[in-house]
Amino acid sequence: MKVKTKHIMNLFYIPALLLFVAFVVYPFTQGIRISFTNWNGYSQAYKYIGLDNYIRFFKDKNVLGAFVNTIIYGFGSTIVQNILGLAYALFLNSKFTGRSVVRAVIYMPVMIASLIMGYIMYFLVQYDGGAINDLLILFGKAPVDLMSQGPRAVLIMTLINILQFVGISMVIYLAGLQNIPEMYYEAASIDGVNAWGQFKYITLPLLMPAISSAVVLNLIGGLKLFDIIMALTAGGPGYSTHSLSTMVTNMYFRGQHAGYSATIGIFTFIFIMIVSNIIVRYFDKKEVEM
Amino acid sequence: MKKFASIILGITLSMMMFAGCSKAPVETAPAEEAASTEAAAPEAKAETETAPKSDVKLTFMSSMVGVPSEALEQACKDFTAETGIAVEYSAPGANYEELMKTKMASQDLPDLWNTHGWSVARYSEYLRPINDQPFAKDIVDSIKPLITDADGQMYVLPSDVDLAGIVYNIDVMDKSGVKVDDIKTWADFEAACEKIKAAGFTPVHIGGKDNWTIGQYFDWVAPSFYITNESKNYRDAFKDGSFDWKNWEEICAMLDKWNKAGYLNVDALTSDYITGAKALGEGKVGFEFYGNYAITEALGAFPDAKLGMMPVPAKDASDQPTLIGGERLATGVWKDSPHMDEALQLLNYLARPEVCAKLATANGTPAGLKGVESDTGIIKPFYEKYANVKTFPYFDREYLPSGMWDDLCITGANVLSKQEGAIRDAAKHMETSFKDKFSQK
Amino acid sequence: MVQNNKRAAIWRTPLAIIIVLIHFAPIYILLGMAFKSPKDVTSRWILPGYIYKQNFDIAINKGNMLAGLYNTTIITVSCIVLIIVFGALAAYPLARNRSKFNGGIKAFVLGIMMVPPLSILVPLYTVMAGLKGTSTYWGIIVILTAFQLPMSIFLYTNFISAIPTALDEAASIDGCGPFRTFFLVILPQLKPITASVVILTGINCWNDYQFSLYMLQSPKIKTITLTISSFFSQNSNNVNAAAAAALMGILPVILLFLSLQKYFIKGMVDSAIK
Repeated sequence: MKVKTKHIMNLFYIPALLLFVAFVVYPFTQGIRISFTNWNGYSQAYKYIGLDNYIRFFKDKNVLGAFVNTIIYGFGSTIVQNILGLAYALFLNSKFTGRSVVRAVIYMPVMIASLIMGYIMYFLVQYDGGAINDLLILFGKAPVDLMSQGPRAVLIMTLINILQFVGISMVIYLAGLQNIPEMYYEAASIDGVNAWGQFKYITLPLLMPAISSAVVLNLIGGLKLFDIIMALTAGGPGYSTHSLSTMVTNMYFRGQHAGYSATIGIFTFIFIMIVSNIIVRYFDKKEVEM
Repeated sequence: MKKFASIILGITLSMMMFAGCSKAPVETAPAEEAASTEAAAPEAKAETETAPKSDVKLTFMSSMVGVPSEALEQACKDFTAETGIAVEYSAPGANYEELMKTKMASQDLPDLWNTHGWSVARYSEYLRPINDQPFAKDIVDSIKPLITDADGQMYVLPSDVDLAGIVYNIDVMDKSGVKVDDIKTWADFEAACEKIKAAGFTPVHIGGKDNWTIGQYFDWVAPSFYITNESKNYRDAFKDGSFDWKNWEEICAMLDKWNKAGYLNVDALTSDYITGAKALGEGKVGFEFYGNYAITEALGAFPDAKLGMMPVPAKDASDQPTLIGGERLATGVWKDSPHMDEALQLLNYLARPEVCAKLATANGTPAGLKGVESDTGIIKPFYEKYANVKTFPYFDREYLPSGMWDDLCITGANVLSKQEGAIRDAAKHMETSFKDKFSQK
Repeated sequence: MVQNNKRAAIWRTPLAIIIVLIHFAPIYILLGMAFKSPKDVTSRWILPGYIYKQNFDIAINKGNMLAGLYNTTIITVSCIVLIIVFGALAAYPLARNRSKFNGGIKAFVLGIMMVPPLSILVPLYTVMAGLKGTSTYWGIIVILTAFQLPMSIFLYTNFISAIPTALDEAASIDGCGPFRTFFLVILPQLKPITASVVILTGINCWNDYQFSLYMLQSPKIKTITLTISSFFSQNSNNVNAAAAAALMGILPVILLFLSLQKYFIKGMVDSAIK
């Protein structure tokens, strides 16, 4: 293509870039500035304190806890969502009655706001009158206060996130599967390749682009998990179920450490950036190899 | 679509076959509920019909929810009807403080707002002093020191005076054989808890899912340990920042003791305030550490509940039980409001005796202006009974720097989750945060 | 797949039923609670044998659900239009030019996608307050658009990359500049992927809570999520009315999904497979 055309085409970026700069980049740089202050988040008076917030950040064991939780929310959701999503897709790729119903029921929760999903889930996990405890009582077991222990609550919320968003991976994989020509399998069957072999040598490699899309979408969603946590535990008991995102709000509004909150926010951004870049690169390479 | 809808219905019905279905309970209250919503609806419509005669539109942000919020909104509407000045009233509920912080940070404040106990420590930077207003001289004396800053400036109109103790269910006390008048110290309180537990009730309910409830314990208990005893207290130590936080372990240890002794509800970490208030009304719970709004809330669900309020016990026999007092519904005006005159007009309207009385009545609290009588309902005998009990300000507002409520809740939650060394860590955490925020001031 | 024989078909139905039961359970519980009287203390697994309409009356009258639906619709529709136009525009050079500059843009767009919205909330609020954009439709619309654009650019870029460049070249030979090429050649081909952009980003705008909470403070401009969350915090003693409110809030999106399902899957096929 001509060089001049290319330059004109670059004008197409302008509307999007303007929005990004005004409403994302500029506020973000302001966030960087705030991270060097001891601002309490509402007063007009504050002073610059250099790197104190960053030093504190690396010594703070509550933030470390939130970091570990974020990894569980992000990677835990991604791994299970993709395995389960692929399994659902393989299952639904075969024809049987009620297939479209199953697909719609799995996908439906994706449409529901996470916050509302969190409220609904509270009806299930509540200690007093919660639906899950009703089942436990029915089977003669003692009711359990499910969300009272940090690690267990983190796992439950990861599960809820999976249950809500597995539909995304499922649909992406379904699409991927339907794009694989039937004749590949026919040829493989004639050559005597068994089902597992077909899956390993035909399905999986040809699904690589779908896997890449699904993993990146799930990962960014899981690492930014916020609404469900706010609706179910608000980070409690103590700091035990915070993700980095909820920690940012908590430090800002309730802890009144706006400077420190900004520091955590910047770190969260850098972390998500690095992880997704590694993943995107990995899949790009995989796809090229094939 | 149609096919799908019928299938969803099918799934639901077949799940129902497994689970069975419940019968309609005997209806008593719902009819009233429906009636009350119907009554509320025309009011909401009336709002849009009132055409403002003036171009000015005041914004008013309220921290109130429920009945008090409705009363305040009604007062704003009456003001509009009288003066033609429109008022845009909003009550964001749980997110109020967060919204106000963003608004302060951006210097984009409403013309009037509620200060929920923080008129001096947090909001005074943005509020117009009201000492020159006609109602200033009528503010009741007990609340004056709480809303006055070091320079003698007051920033808000207090519509009522909060007076709080421990709320309790009278029936539970009777059935457990507990006489609240005999509870003078925390040791007495624990003995009462033991009796209530033995009678099969939950002695104390904490709703730790809500991010403010655990802090209530500290706000209620800390004064008796560190403040109220005239002969031995740490008032100055908190004020000058020299408090030895090792002492804080005492009250954490007491919470831990209650928790391990089974005086608290099993789901203290995951239950919430509303559930607690309901359980109080239902007669499942003995005591709760909330203001009298919990009584109003419990009565909303169980109108026939017999509930009471008692002073907070003392640490030991050398001191007397006390009550907690402070601002509740207090309103201030933004110092840079573009509609200063109209905003002050509204503030003075709210200060009128008949309006002030209505607002205080909605809160179930005594009025904040002299010569104004409010109807405090079932709590009235208790206000009269304890009229001479000494009152202290809310602990965190008076003795801790702004922003430490979260630290109270977090450390309390750690103690409740029975973590190893939580008591020591709690005191340390409080010390670090206190020093940090103290120096920020 | 070919290996799907009769034997496999036998376990398919029970498995399908189990999957449906698990995924449908939360909505089932919600349905049951929404139609139950607050005085009914039976287990939440048990549906009421009657219909208790008052829950919905309370939700509509006290909760202002209808105003919430109206505001959300205006905001979402406007956002979608902007997201489609700006997204497709930016995606075109990104898909066609493989230069270092474009590589940088691509990384930048991905980076925007990863900014945790709350970490920039206060500076963003200050910007909006300065522009007098708080509690206005346009204020929330530009913010949501800015945060949803990367997703739209991402999807459109993948899709346009799959359109043969021969088409552009033919247009160019016919004397079309890049603008005309884009509007006459590329844009008409984007229909299938647009369906999925609409659903994917539209749903995020519809369900937004984090930005709306801070940017839309006037009660007249509350969205459906805000309405429901304030209804929950103020009426949590009446869980059944709250459930009714939640049900009313999710119903529109679910109905929309059910009617647009086919387009959505089709769009997904085009987007996920480069």
